[in-house]
Amino acid sequence: MKSVKFLALAASAALAACSQPATEDGDTARVVNVYSARHYSSDAAIYAAFTEQTGIEVNLVAASGDQLIERVRADGERSPADVIITVDAARLHRAEQAGLFAASDFSDLDIDIPTNLIDPEGYWVSFAKRSRVIAYSNDRVQPGEIATYEDLADPRWEGRICVRESGNAYNQSLLASLVAHLGEEDAQAWAQGIVDNMAREPQGGDRTQINGIAAGECDVAILNHYYYAMMVNSDDPAAQAAAAAVTLFFPNQETTGAHVNVSGAGIAVNAPHPEEARTLIEFFFSDDAQRAFAEMTNEIPVRTDVSWDNPTLAAMLPFNEDSLNVSELGDNNETAQRIFDRVGWQ
Amino acid sequence: MPAPAHFLRSHVRLPGRTIGLAVLAAAICAAPVLAVAWIALSGETGDYLQHLAGTRLPTYLATSAIVALIAAGGAGLIGTGLGWLIARTEFVGRRTLAWVLILPLAVPAYVAAYAWLDLSHAGGPLQAMTGGLFPTIRGSWGAGLMFALVLYPYVFLLARDTFAGQSADAYHAARTLGAGPLTAFWRTSLPMARPAIAAGLALVVMESLADYGTVSHLGAPTLSIGLIRAWSGAGSLVDAARLSLVLVVIAIFVFGLERAQRRRARSVNAAGRHKPAPRLQLGAGHGLLALLACLTPLALGMVVPLGRLVWLALHTDTAPGLAAASLHSLTLALITAVIAAALGLATAYALRSRTAIATLAARAAGLGYAVPGAVAAVGVIALLSGTQALLDPAWRALTGEVFPILLTATGGALVFAYLSRFAAAAISPAETALARVTPSLDGAARTLGASRGRRVRTVHWPLIAAGVTSAGLLVFVEVLKELPATMILRPFNYDTLAIIAHNFASDERLGEAALPSLLIPLVALLPMIFVARYLSRQAR
Repeated sequence: MKSVKFLALAASAALAACSQPATEDGDTARVVNVYSARHYSSDAAIYAAFTEQTGIEVNLVAASGDQLIERVRADGERSPADVIITVDAARLHRAEQAGLFAASDFSDLDIDIPTNLIDPEGYWVSFAKRSRVIAYSNDRVQPGEIATYEDLADPRWEGRICVRESGNAYNQSLLASLVAHLGEEDAQAWAQGIVDNMAREPQGGDRTQINGIAAGECDVAILNHYYYAMMVNSDDPAAQAAAAAVTLFFPNQETTGAHVNVSGAGIAVNAPHPEEARTLIEFFFSDDAQRAFAEMTNEIPVRTDVSWDNPTLAAMLPFNEDSLNVSELGDNNETAQRIFDRVGWQ
Repeated sequence: MPAPAHFLRSHVRLPGRTIGLAVLAAAICAAPVLAVAWIALSGETGDYLQHLAGTRLPTYLATSAIVALIAAGGAGLIGTGLGWLIARTEFVGRRTLAWVLILPLAVPAYVAAYAWLDLSHAGGPLQAMTGGLFPTIRGSWGAGLMFALVLYPYVFLLARDTFAGQSADAYHAARTLGAGPLTAFWRTSLPMARPAIAAGLALVVMESLADYGTVSHLGAPTLSIGLIRAWSGAGSLVDAARLSLVLVVIAIFVFGLERAQRRRARSVNAAGRHKPAPRLQLGAGHGLLALLACLTPLALGMVVPLGRLVWLALHTDTAPGLAAASLHSLTLALITAVIAAALGLATAYALRSRTAIATLAARAAGLGYAVPGAVAAVGVIALLSGTQALLDPAWRALTGEVFPILLTATGGALVFAYLSRFAAAAISPAETALARVTPSLDGAARTLGASRGRRVRTVHWPLIAAGVTSAGLLVFVEVLKELPATMILRPFNYDTLAIIAHNFASDERLGEAALPSLLIPLVALLPMIFVARYLSRQAR
């Protein structure tokens, strides 16, 4: 087997040397072209493992979801994209709405993925989860003082909340989930309540919010769970100290469940290499890849039957998840953004 | 020989191909903007803009104005002041500072912002050192300050060269009439330098308005944030394109003001190499003050932020792929810079013909500078995709397939976008340099029977070489720093330093972002030091 692969490699190298430069359409080397909104350096290790196991080379362009969608859309029929990956369900939904995904049946993947993480029409599938959670100061907030996202809008938190700007996709999807659960009017009242309770103008990323609590600027913050995990697992003593000053919890455990967003992928409608694209997406559900998500990016693998080693993440689980189909985050994204504009959430 | 009439008709009779090149430059710069305008005007009309006008638009506009004013005020003050000190006075360290002061231009504003926010955030080192007194560098004023600190060299470069080239006559006349040195500066040197300062300021303002990385990191919601949000928000490229037209209008206005300055000052802008003004010898006390004045912006714009990044880089593991990314960044920057310098010079020459088409071309080229990189990239994608689609029928007839993806999948699209964004930056310096070739100088050479080619080689080039090289340099550095267009248009597996730095920084992993962030100015520094010293020798 090895020698066959070697021969194939040698043959393709020879061909490439004496004919035109190898194109991705060449039969000799199998490739898959990936447009990814994930910019985590650890993904390189996942792709390397994929190439080693399958012999399929990975070509990568990484940019924001909206940019990738525009590029695929404009290139149309001649787009080289095979797999489109985003880190926000609303962007997956948008790509689907733009007709960029091929209808694919992921039900025969033989993996037990919760149905709320798969597009109802089968255009895309999620392979890792992240939850938007609440952190509070160990010094200034009592455990149990706060239980839900809705609590944050209460006037008793006035001047005590740190949260990042509303252009951020994770905030948009959180509000989109509230629109789905509470309706637009109540969701707007909630957003207004948060704006009224902000300790400072939104700034920085999710870690900045934890630093804000540690520095005494605010008492509670909204952030994605893995940023906290990254700080706990960090080599930087300052980050560890900041993380140690807060407690993280999953909100709405008694009600709707904590808001969950996803890393997901679909196969491009004009994919030149649909087979390889499918092989890659299947690989994201392999033990190796699922373990890598848990151990390297602190994401929650969608498969529950894979073992991994990350005590920080393990200590957070399990928790009650919002069972809303994540495609609804896309449906309500525009409404959420307009609410942000109306209430003046920077 | 009917010399006078001949003399007046034109300074240099231009071959048609110079105008042709200028038109090409204009087409490259303006085409993506026009494509965006087309998207804006032909798209469906929703209610998003109305919604925006009733909610965030006033904030976007006000923030843009504040950021641009602080950036221009700061850069104007620093650039003009230091330009005059370096060009017209003598103090210890002046010769070195003449080129060192240009170097902050190699620091991307977003890199300065990463470092300063990291230093000054709540609970950060500066607050700890000052007992919480040091303000957090953020918001509109923070962003304006960052732009002032790293973009002042635009003003400095142009002001310094103009001050150095100024004849001493007016200044001395003013002094003889009893004006003090400051008054003489205010009444004679400054007005003569106004076109150069205005050209520098126009670049500072446009760059601040088109920036995305710095304002988003520091939380200053300018119009360019608004249009990216319109794009991602309603998913509407059309509305984003419409908002970017506002930026285009602002650019037309800003560059119009700059040109008005230039026209007004034309008659007094004495040039040539006659009678270089003697430098004002500063005593020990004043010399020390001058030195301090020069070192402060250097420290704030370069030494402190880069120092912080060095410290962070030393405390973090190195990310892989930096060597390849450096090479990619360098290659793109070099190719773009050479083409842009050539196009800029051609446009500047064409402008001397005073023909309507040349003027139009130069103005059209300025349009590209107005739009944020992400918008320029969208314009490039739209154009190239459209071209490919046009070629489809013929190609299908020949081969039975759609036209292959040649245009949008290669580095060519990227260079196109860069040229569109930055080639305009090469026109102003080339034009300023060419202004030193006065009609009388040209006429004299002509009277002596020098051919056009010989005039350009032996009379023009020595006078304009510095300006043209610095034009290329400006573009070189811009491309190294460019982020949004690079992200959208790059080919597969093609990271640049700016992209790696941004990816880590946007994930708040500043430790890993530190080294690639540092490499951008470092890669820029070597050629910059070379050129800066060369320019300073020319100016001496």
